[in-house]
Amino acid sequence: MAEPLVSIRDLTVSLPQGADRPLAVETVSLDVGRNEIVCIVGESGSGKSVTAHAIMGLLPRGVTATGGQILFGGADLLREAPEALRKRRGRDMAMIFQDPMAALNPVVCIGKQVTEQIRTHRAISEHQALNQAGELLGQMGLKDVAGLLKAYPHQLSGGQRQRVMIAMALSLSPQLLIADEPTTALDVTTQAQILKLIERIQAEREMSVLLITHDFGVVADMADRVAVMRHGHILESGTTSAVLGNPSHSYTRALIAAVPHGESALPPSPGVRPLVEVRGLTKRFRRGGLFSRGAVTTAVDDVSLTLSRGETLGIVGESGSGKSTLARCVIRLLDPDAGEVLLDGADIAHMKAGRLRPLRRRIQMVFQDPFSSLNPRQTVGDIITAGPRIYGEAPKQAHSRAAEMLELVGLNPQVMDRLPHEFSGGQRQRIGLARALMLKPDVLIADEPVSALDVTVQAQVLKLLDDVRMQMNLAMLFITHDMRVAAQVCHRVMVMRHGKVVESGPTRDIFAAPSDDYTKALLAAIPGRRQAI
Amino acid sequence: MKLRYIAARLIKTVLVAIAVVVLSFFLIRLAPGDVATVMAGQSGFADEAFIKNLRAEYGLDQPLPVQFWKYASAVAQGDLGTSYVRRQKVTAIILERLPNTLLLDAFALVVAAAGGIWLGMVAARKPGSAGDSAVTVLSMLFYAVPQFWLGMMMVLVFAVWLAWLPPFGIETMGAEYTGLARLGDIAQHIILPGMTLALYFLASYARLTRTAMIEMADQDFVKTARAKGISERQVARRHILRNALLPLVTYAGLQASILVGGSVLVENVFSWPGIGTLAYEAVKARDNPVLLGIFIVTALLVSLFNLITDIAYSVADPRVELG
Amino acid sequence: MMKFARRFFARPTAVFGFAVFVAIVAIALSAPLIFARGPFSIVGMPLLPPGAPGLFAGSDVLGRDMVVGLAYGARISLLVGITSTLCAVGIGILLGATAGYYGGLVDDLLMRFTEFFQIIPSFVLLMVLVAFMQPSLASTVIGIALVTWPQVARVVRGEFLSLRSREFVEAARVLGMRDARIIFTQILPNALPPIVAVSSMMVGSAILTESALAFLGLGDPNLLSWGSMIEGSRSAMWVAWWTTVLPGLSIMVTVLALNFVGDGLNEALNPRRRR
Repeated sequence: MAEPLVSIRDLTVSLPQGADRPLAVETVSLDVGRNEIVCIVGESGSGKSVTAHAIMGLLPRGVTATGGQILFGGADLLREAPEALRKRRGRDMAMIFQDPMAALNPVVCIGKQVTEQIRTHRAISEHQALNQAGELLGQMGLKDVAGLLKAYPHQLSGGQRQRVMIAMALSLSPQLLIADEPTTALDVTTQAQILKLIERIQAEREMSVLLITHDFGVVADMADRVAVMRHGHILESGTTSAVLGNPSHSYTRALIAAVPHGESALPPSPGVRPLVEVRGLTKRFRRGGLFSRGAVTTAVDDVSLTLSRGETLGIVGESGSGKSTLARCVIRLLDPDAGEVLLDGADIAHMKAGRLRPLRRRIQMVFQDPFSSLNPRQTVGDIITAGPRIYGEAPKQAHSRAAEMLELVGLNPQVMDRLPHEFSGGQRQRIGLARALMLKPDVLIADEPVSALDVTVQAQVLKLLDDVRMQMNLAMLFITHDMRVAAQVCHRVMVMRHGKVVESGPTRDIFAAPSDDYTKALLAAIPGRRQAI
Repeated sequence: MKLRYIAARLIKTVLVAIAVVVLSFFLIRLAPGDVATVMAGQSGFADEAFIKNLRAEYGLDQPLPVQFWKYASAVAQGDLGTSYVRRQKVTAIILERLPNTLLLDAFALVVAAAGGIWLGMVAARKPGSAGDSAVTVLSMLFYAVPQFWLGMMMVLVFAVWLAWLPPFGIETMGAEYTGLARLGDIAQHIILPGMTLALYFLASYARLTRTAMIEMADQDFVKTARAKGISERQVARRHILRNALLPLVTYAGLQASILVGGSVLVENVFSWPGIGTLAYEAVKARDNPVLLGIFIVTALLVSLFNLITDIAYSVADPRVELG
Repeated sequence: MMKFARRFFARPTAVFGFAVFVAIVAIALSAPLIFARGPFSIVGMPLLPPGAPGLFAGSDVLGRDMVVGLAYGARISLLVGITSTLCAVGIGILLGATAGYYGGLVDDLLMRFTEFFQIIPSFVLLMVLVAFMQPSLASTVIGIALVTWPQVARVVRGEFLSLRSREFVEAARVLGMRDARIIFTQILPNALPPIVAVSSMMVGSAILTESALAFLGLGDPNLLSWGSMIEGSRSAMWVAWWTTVLPGLSIMVTVLALNFVGDGLNEALNPRRRR
């Protein structure tokens, strides 16, 4: 093998005092060859992102590289003078980030941001730089380049913004592009396009790409070689086919196994009398105030569905599809403008608050964000016994049931006196689930319950949800943007776009033979489809 | 779009002014006692007939709604009434005082913004350093000092002990300077009251700038700027400061009423002939037409000032659309 | 609680502020016991400098002991600062919480009302209120509370507005919890840190405002406060610096201490959000 472009040797990076561990990265060694895509894959806290930032010399305040070497074309970046390293950034190596909205300066127009990069390193006029910038944006597949150059970041879509970031990164033809979770903040279909774009430019320019990801699907589609990181160490590395085909470390195997497969395992549910029936549900939002005419957006447009005991109905869609609004209307966190929500035949969509309250216990919800779904100032015990206490259950009895419930969701009952911040994301989702189950509901609405969790934790929580559904014979409405997750737990799925249902049916049928173009696009966007893992 | 927005805002300003007229009129009239009792008390012979005459002269013997109607229709024609005490048109009195207050404000604002932003930037460069702590403690000190007392100390030190600067007034009495000499004279007089007023705002600007700079330095787009290979100086100037200044624009808008209303205290200590001293005299004498006039004029000016800061904000931050 | 105290006292400024505050409270409480003759009694020649026999801080224009005046002044400052802030915070929480949680008409009215307070110069309004109610301790407290509560209401409203859409509040609604219970058990405990921080700063600024009113002759004529001491010795400032410097320093140190305490509370209640 030829000499690699980047060669990391025994890199050690220390964290500031008071962090949860002393070292972010410990004796990590990794090569990125010329003209190849290398992936670092790992969960949050694995040190993958710190490694990438160390190469760029962009470690945050207090985080320092204390040992090892980072050789770039033979020169050790860790020992280079700050000024020399600064000149390399953008010219020899460039980086793009997870959230392109945050990564672009909100008050500077796109053209200026791109030319700033060019003119930092090359002595050319603004006019020339602007021409180059336009050309680059065109190469990234962006339309109306002249308009884009004058636009500000908030006027662009997520995909456009990330394309601008890539254009900016490539403007000086660097030898290395580092992409730190470049698609995590984007919609599913956009994700696939951005990954294809990175793959295309890599091939065209024969450059080196270091791609940081948590998703083995992305690894399977993109990488020539892969390194698996955990707790600051590289567990194993090798060619993608070797690691995927024959993982040597048990953690790698767990990580691969945890990636939901894009195929449905569940049979469609038996058709029993529906418990919940939603008919023609519509929700509009008005914006604006006294002096401006409010713009009306229809978030949910004439949606109907049925849900029976023991089955899981998945509602799949990208951001802005109205899936969360639909869920919030069904559970009456929002008041729908039209339509009915029948629970055992009673319409709860327009019921007065007083009559609704006793029925509330029958429909419960698990929320998306494990960090904001638990009151930070209440103990776990108070949080999960709040429901029963509202309905007059004796505190003692509620307490003993809470202990049982904690055990059911896989937590030690002794945690009851602790506060939420002492728990990990996955544990908090379990606590949230326990809170919902304490009321012995008939219907459980799960709103993106695993999207904020690491892959391996995702798998555990999904399994738990499926177990309790069976055990308690729940009707479950499962909201997700992730087709792979939907395939794993849903008997039926409904695909939503712009507030409307575009397709619905048994999960198996939809995955095998989607009829709608949008559904097809969603399925095609699933990473890891090209190479089976 | 912009014109329509400005038109809507101007209409709103008029509505606000009407609300101010109504609210302040009744607030002031509902209070016990009026100018007649105050004048009677001052003149020493407070017999019933004298008070009755005064009330009749000022129209205070009429029913409140009638008084209000007369006042409101006059205001609608731009007439703010006549001062009880000075027997001059309120509009004329306010117009005579307003430029002095605005001059003092402008001086204080410029000093405060320039000094405060600079100090804030210095402090934010190395959070937790000695320089940062010094700026923080200094701004806490300026927050805690009573403004009128600070003014008196300025007089004591710079006018009495050191005798560098004149202690009060806007220009030297009886000197009759003209042209440049007069300007120089006013410049000398404005330093002490201007600095007194400025120090409080300077503390606010320093704190706000520091917080905003530190917060902005953690944003992703700053990392992007560094990844481009831009020098630290340019990162701070073009990316961090540009965004950190946005909250300061909002803050300036919030300060408007304090400024336009005139700093009663500073103007009082330095005998600065502005709106603040006028308001103080009017309160003491129950000169209601003058008080109402001050409320109305400041409300209009503040609304105007807020409109300007809103437009400035929308120019500085493309994410904000007017309307 | 212990953790909170440790975080609070980790800041040297907070320690200093707390110590000074305790000392001033002690002086204020013990003033009538130590100086039973009261602040208005004349003890000697006027304008004796500090260090004159028996006069640690000198005497004022009327020959009254400055030390006694300063001690009694602390009573007025603390009383006005604390009571007016309590009133303002009470009104502010009530209206701010209602507006923030329910939105709608209450919210619109409150916002218009606070806008009115932003447009009218609040100190002029305060002068008008106090002068027309007749200057007294009560009118000072009421006046300050009336012009400052919108500040609290805005903060409370903002907190409630952002907290009411948090998922844990939605969870409480889904459980079937009543609004009043949600407001008091779910939202308010989480909104307290900023409220505490704003209030502690308000005590300081209320003390400054009280002294300003007294300085302008709009304080209670029957009470001696730091502001009125400065007003009374305005003409003597040129010859007897201590008559104005000492009360002013007292105000400054008190307010500084309170602001340091406020800063410390703010930091201790809001540890950097760890994720």
